[in-house]
Amino acid sequence: MSTLATQPGTASTAPQTPAALQTISLQKRIDDRPILRDINLTVAPGQYVALLGANGAGKSTLLKILATLIPPSDGRLMLFGETVGWDGWAARRRIGLIGHQSMLYRDLSALENLIFFGKLYGIASSAARAVTLLKAVDLFDRADDPVKSLSRGMMQRVAIARALVHDPELLLADEPFDGLDAPSCRALEKLLAQLQQAGKTVVLANHDIDQSLRLSQRTVVLRKGRVVIDQPSQELTPPAILKEMERA
Amino acid sequence: MIRAAKQSLLIAAKDLRIESRSRQTISLVVVLGILIVTVLGLGLGGQRPDGPAATAVLWVAYLFSGVLCFEKTMAVERQDGALAGLLLAPLDRGVIYLGKLLSNVVLMFAVAGVITPVGILFFGFDLSKAPLGFLAIMGMSMLGFAAVGTLFAAMVSSSRLQGGLLAMVVFPITLPLVIASTQLTSRLYQGDETWNGSAFAVLVAFDAIFLVVSWLAFEWVIEP
Repeated sequence: MSTLATQPGTASTAPQTPAALQTISLQKRIDDRPILRDINLTVAPGQYVALLGANGAGKSTLLKILATLIPPSDGRLMLFGETVGWDGWAARRRIGLIGHQSMLYRDLSALENLIFFGKLYGIASSAARAVTLLKAVDLFDRADDPVKSLSRGMMQRVAIARALVHDPELLLADEPFDGLDAPSCRALEKLLAQLQQAGKTVVLANHDIDQSLRLSQRTVVLRKGRVVIDQPSQELTPPAILKEMERA
Repeated sequence: MIRAAKQSLLIAAKDLRIESRSRQTISLVVVLGILIVTVLGLGLGGQRPDGPAATAVLWVAYLFSGVLCFEKTMAVERQDGALAGLLLAPLDRGVIYLGKLLSNVVLMFAVAGVITPVGILFFGFDLSKAPLGFLAIMGMSMLGFAAVGTLFAAMVSSSRLQGGLLAMVVFPITLPLVIASTQLTSRLYQGDETWNGSAFAVLVAFDAIFLVVSWLAFEWVIEP
């Protein structure tokens, strides 16, 4: 794991430590349609949070706001104790996002993609970091192959390496298991767990309730843009979550 | 400032590397440009048009090729959500604009480098008297055209209308640029060495205004 996290965190949740992320009355409207309503979340550093909800519940929108990709319509977002403005450059250095899509350039090789993104983040030894990450995701032997020639699972592993290229403290993952075969799913589960053990904060949006409860420490369920459950995962059961998700 | 310039160059270099691998844009755009010049050249019945008409034909080719170029370079960012990867990086979105602008200008020059000799062959241009003047006019015109095209390609790339819409927006806006460039180039073509200050001023003003406005506006139009 030390290869993925260059500076392993402490996972400390001492009272003085600012929350990794905090949302205060966060709202998002698109064309006057409310997508997120009054979201108040506080996630401590090193916590592994699963974000569940039916399609259209607002999971992806919430992750995009947390990643500073889109601004909220109202409310406040704080990352590591600092309010994030629309031009939250400093915050972006501390966030990694794994999305539905790979966010990679298909005509570049895995190595070129990682070096490019590493340089954008101002990493001095981006080539060395890229090699380290490709070894960590077990793709070093395909480093020079164009991304378009990789399988979906391999592409997702490169996407994970891209999200980790700047060693972020907060990792946001939007349904990263979609389309992966069972071995790739297991490998990704393991990787996310390793990151959390290394002190990274992980927020995972997922469809699979059982998997989310098994992996995370805390589960947040969204329904129609509102938080309807926010509890430790061990206190929850899949039927209870499903019932809450299906409620009209 | 230096860091921003380096990041812009990095983005432009990435675009050009992708283009050198796939050759999707350049081959298509060059063929389109040559076809336009050829068809319009033949459509004129083998007669050599006068200066303004000949340069206008060239500009028709540049405009259509340019629009296709802007669309393609932005399409690369939309594929697999790569644009979101760029937007997640800790950089001013204006830096992304400058990077895309630079790659578009380079591609436009490469395209013009093929289309213009075809035009010279068809219309018998004699640019030997002022080759540097021609290059300067082309450089300024391409920069202004790409400044507008890069901004609107980013806007339109999230729309389903895409191709038609980009041309509809960019062509009217770049009209002053095309008129000024055509006037300046046709004077060179006709061997008229008198200085057309007002046309040149239009080029300079167009470039300055649209570079600044587009750079500032890019942040608000680009969506992941």
